[in-house]
Amino acid sequence: MTTQQDITPREALMRLGASTAESIAQVLEMFTPGAVQRGEVTVLPDGASPFANVARGSIASSVSYVDGVTGANIFVLTPAGARGLATAMGAPPPEVEEGAETPALSELEMSAIAEAANQTMAAAAAAISVVLGQEVEISTPDTRVLDEPRKASDIYGTAPHATSTTFVIAGESCRLIQLIPAAFVVRMVRAMDELTGEIAEAGAVAGSPAAAAAASAVDVSPHTAALEEVLGGINLRVWAELGRARMPLGSALGLPVGAVLDLDRSADAPVDLYVNGMRFARAQLIVTDEGEWAVSLQSLESEGMRLLERARAARPEGNEDVEADSQPLDSRSVLPIESQTSSTNPETPDLKQPEVEGAVT
Amino acid sequence: MARVLVVDDAAFMRKVVSDALASGGHEVVGEAGNGTEAVQRYQELSPELVTLDITMPVKDGLEALGEIISLDPGAKVLMCSALGQESKVIESIQKGAKDFVVKPFQPAQLLEAVGKALA
Repeated sequence: MTTQQDITPREALMRLGASTAESIAQVLEMFTPGAVQRGEVTVLPDGASPFANVARGSIASSVSYVDGVTGANIFVLTPAGARGLATAMGAPPPEVEEGAETPALSELEMSAIAEAANQTMAAAAAAISVVLGQEVEISTPDTRVLDEPRKASDIYGTAPHATSTTFVIAGESCRLIQLIPAAFVVRMVRAMDELTGEIAEAGAVAGSPAAAAAASAVDVSPHTAALEEVLGGINLRVWAELGRARMPLGSALGLPVGAVLDLDRSADAPVDLYVNGMRFARAQLIVTDEGEWAVSLQSLESEGMRLLERARAARPEGNEDVEADSQPLDSRSVLPIESQTSSTNPETPDLKQPEVEGAVT
Repeated sequence: MARVLVVDDAAFMRKVVSDALASGGHEVVGEAGNGTEAVQRYQELSPELVTLDITMPVKDGLEALGEIISLDPGAKVLMCSALGQESKVIESIQKGAKDFVVKPFQPAQLLEAVGKALA
């Protein structure tokens, strides 16, 4: 069943800002527990300079999206805010004699701010990846003192769209400025239309960072507490994967109608359940009384353990000492599914591979 | 306890990792700020373990990992990834990294991962 909810570019920008800010706030909370407040997202009017109100001497750390999508994210802090964040992360402030002028940030403090930008924007990129269904890579951070904020566009360039999101970290205000190319907005609109247009009964993902990120992307609520409330209403694509096969491209193209393709799993093996491109559960394929396919959830791995499991499973020699920290679900957890056969991997294929990998869903 | 080479483009993270390793009784024998330096330092120092950041300028952690493993197939490398670098972590394990730790981490988490990588 599908419902159509057209997303406007402005809504996409607001939700992109909210998603990014939420991811950033979650990482900052790890550095400064209980001391991070997130303000509103503002979509700047056409022609407005995102750096108009930035004070001279502010500290700016920028991280760009460089693969998957492009765009710049500039985290702007007051010197005191930057020092406070660096101190909270473990970079000690320089010793100052009483009455002496406050010194500029040390190299180690600037490095801590760069690392904060790196880690927060990596989390934001992961959130956007969930929405787009494609991995988004980030650049290494560039951190500097903005001596002339009015000329910041010379450093960071311009973009047709910009957002500004305010934060308060340990009492000091700071802001995230996002410079967003038109193509990025188009992709966000398309992706969020798909996300909100499909109904899935996958409330089981509640609580995972990816789900929170996706939730943030499709809801502009500025507060973390509101996320859990909206989480239950988030619509995500859900599919079950029966198995996979690999073969040379030439063989795949030459498959005749009626060909039988062996998959990598036995008939009674559990299937993988994917939510918006991320595997989150194992399930047993069953037939309902009405004669329709359904899956009965068997286990649900936590985000971290799933990552670990996938990484270790990918190790060539294998590693048998790793066990997934699975949480058994109620045996009545049954998801009806639509039958669909696909010759493409639901995850982004590596086009450089001479072989093709197919997943039957 | 192991002799460790710490690789990260952020001086701050090199200090965080080095302090954590020292608290666990390990000896940091060298540091590097990018992948090219990492490979050079690995050849010079022959450390028992390398902690390797993924996103770095000049040469990233994955490329450096590949070169280190080709130089020394028995090299023990622990990847330090940020949130959201799932596919790069998988690729690094495929290339021969022993384990990984996701930033931001507590010293105990790093030391636990180091212990696993050295086992």
